[in-house]
Amino acid sequence: MPLLKLEAVEKSFAGVRALRPIQLELAAGEVLGLIGENGAGKSTLIKVLSGVLAPDAGVITWEGRPARFQTPHEALAAGIATIHQELACCGSLSVAENLLLGEPWPRRAWGGVAWGRLEAEAARQLAHFGLDIAPSRFFHELSAAQKQEVAIARALSRQARLLILDEPSASLSEPEVRRLFEHLERLRAAGVAILYVSHRLDEIVKLTDRVAVLRDGELVAVYPTREADVKRMVRDMVGRPLDQVYPHTRPARADSRSLELERVGRAGMFEEVSFAVHSGEIVGLAGLVGAGRSELARAIFGLYPVDRGQMRLFGRPWTPRDPRQALNAGLVYVPEERKRQGLVLEHSVGESISIGFSDLLARWGLIPAGAETARVQRALETFAIRATGPDQTVGTLSGGNQQKALLARWLDREPRVIVLDEPTRGVDVGAKAEIHALIDRLAGQGKAVLMVSSELPEVLGMSDRVLVMRGGSVSAELRGPAMTQENVILAASGLYTGEGGSPSSC
Amino acid sequence: MLTRLSPYLRQRLAFLVAGNVVLLVAIALLLKQGASFSDVLERCGPDVAPTVLAGLGMTGVIFTGAIDISIASIIVVAGTVFGILVQRGGSPAACYAACVLVTWLLSMVNGWLVRGLRVPAIIITLAGLTFYRGLALVIADMAIPSFTGNISVPDEAFHGPGKVYGGWILVAVLAGALAWEAFARVPRRWLALGSSEEACRLAGLNPGRILQSAFCASGLFLGLAGLIFVTRVQAIEPARMALGFELQVIGAVVLGGTNIFGGEGCFAGTVLGALFLYFTAQVLVYAGVNPYFQEAVTGALIIGVIGLDCALHRRRKLLEELA
Repeated sequence: MPLLKLEAVEKSFAGVRALRPIQLELAAGEVLGLIGENGAGKSTLIKVLSGVLAPDAGVITWEGRPARFQTPHEALAAGIATIHQELACCGSLSVAENLLLGEPWPRRAWGGVAWGRLEAEAARQLAHFGLDIAPSRFFHELSAAQKQEVAIARALSRQARLLILDEPSASLSEPEVRRLFEHLERLRAAGVAILYVSHRLDEIVKLTDRVAVLRDGELVAVYPTREADVKRMVRDMVGRPLDQVYPHTRPARADSRSLELERVGRAGMFEEVSFAVHSGEIVGLAGLVGAGRSELARAIFGLYPVDRGQMRLFGRPWTPRDPRQALNAGLVYVPEERKRQGLVLEHSVGESISIGFSDLLARWGLIPAGAETARVQRALETFAIRATGPDQTVGTLSGGNQQKALLARWLDREPRVIVLDEPTRGVDVGAKAEIHALIDRLAGQGKAVLMVSSELPEVLGMSDRVLVMRGGSVSAELRGPAMTQENVILAASGLYTGEGGSPSSC
Repeated sequence: MLTRLSPYLRQRLAFLVAGNVVLLVAIALLLKQGASFSDVLERCGPDVAPTVLAGLGMTGVIFTGAIDISIASIIVVAGTVFGILVQRGGSPAACYAACVLVTWLLSMVNGWLVRGLRVPAIIITLAGLTFYRGLALVIADMAIPSFTGNISVPDEAFHGPGKVYGGWILVAVLAGALAWEAFARVPRRWLALGSSEEACRLAGLNPGRILQSAFCASGLFLGLAGLIFVTRVQAIEPARMALGFELQVIGAVVLGGTNIFGGEGCFAGTVLGALFLYFTAQVLVYAGVNPYFQEAVTGALIIGVIGLDCALHRRRKLLEELA
């Protein structure tokens, strides 16, 4: 009898299917790897299993009985422990208090907490798990690996029989990952089932018994790990051929360098990043979430300073202190989360656009209304923004039109370098094509475009070159025939060995 | 107990102890002929008691990540009820009990509203700040014929807690509170809630109940603070009584190293913070600084300290958010 069984489990958000009917079994003592691209539905599946989300349909059978977990705590009490990427722990409390939060604490005869015995109990649990961490230490003082170990120890002290780990190695160094694996091996031997979610395929191969591949919310393949190789996993993850047609009207040219980075680094974000973007060129920046792409893009725009290395803009040293300086220098940035970082949703479309150039029109602090309206009108037409007029509230536009408004805001400044962060996230197919055409046209006008994108077809289809980031540095530069989805995924997992595997500073 | 304080908090405590010693030395040096230092210390107890006691309660609420800025208005309601009962011929014990009970109940109501409406505590209690003071005026106007703005309590029998026992109440409650903090689990849960609500929920704890217990304890401390506050004055004036008291209390809490966003802090810091503010005011008095200026300096000190604390935390938060 399997420990856990999913039958036709599905989940939708606002009509979008995040999980198509899923069938999956997991036995005690088995390690199942769960892989898939960003947005394939891995997180949703974990949330359904751990009681964060309720499935729309289907049956989850846990230890032979149908289970419906309403809260994470119910799932935990039933024996399903989840270690999320973001650990939920109390930083200002001690390790012992974190381990035993919610459990009864040992008391003295007169009712006071027996701190000594509390810490002894915690030490016993830590030792049982082979951990050498003083229980009196503050949780926030621990290293990322120690925090994770404490979180795992806490989960297992509650007799968890299924341990779900979501990208546990994302913030760990190599020796720390090895230690984690040793722990997991011991748990497997003790009969604990493990669901291991990771982007790092090398880890999946090393650790798991079986692999389940999610793609677009669908469980496309489940097979024993030893029957599969990395190539097959990648193929299953990617699945779709590059069928969409991307515009490429601009002439191939190797003009002057617009933006150059030389061994640029910022502590904890990115290291040793070197590349150049030429005018008239689109350079894609691919990689996993958290690889440092957005951070790099924001540093180029001046949102935070760079610790090491040098940047150059049109041949001159570029050390922006704030975004204003970047705008004046002809560099614009379109942020990743347009709703949080890009737009004031309550503003009108006209205001949202004119905020980008009104300072150019202003005379003694006043903005001539006629000139502003004319410019906004022109932007609405140029960018084919479908709004009832400049007065419509921007929050009521579709995602694609919001994104176009955001682009329109800056492009009227005639920028020469454009940094885009996920330009088509959450945008429908039609608007996507329009935005792609727009980006292509901009490059055709000789602007240098750096595009961060997690969508592989987009980044491959649009770019002249693709840089892949992994763990804060550029792990590969792909060009020409090497620009394939497989290579991007391999490079993002640190497994790419092909031509040009080392970043060249072209 | 000290081992459960972070190095940052221990440093803040040491800094406050040193600061208070410096201020006391300054007071001693500034004392005029005929004034004795022991008088200063004797007066200090009852003077500082309301701020310290209310501060202990506020510390617990801020531990959880909430705040209560309506405490001054709550004291005003309690004081008004107290005054009315005195005028109606209530016994001192009954009047004192009513004062404490009203304070506790209104604190509990704040907790219930924050939980029930799921509105941030600062908004709920901002409304309470004006609502309760208005409520006090309405009650006074209804209960007292020809109410002219203040309720006088001339009988010295009704001034025991404020004028006679204030210092002793303070010492006793303080000792109890510090011991309780050192050996009880509840304050640790408040800190846990302020540190990570998610972690509490995952551990099977009920965040709402933890929050409520903080408001409950705060109500008890505030009840005693209010009792001392109310029984120190000859006339209770609902419209003007305890104006700005909440700022002074929050100032003491934050000065004491408690994180205004919750999750970190200690009672001892609040006590030292309250003393620091009090001695600062005393130094200004003994130095003969213009009274108008004194208010301004005290206000500037509070704003300066809270502003600094927020700026430091905001910087950290901002960096986390951008990362």
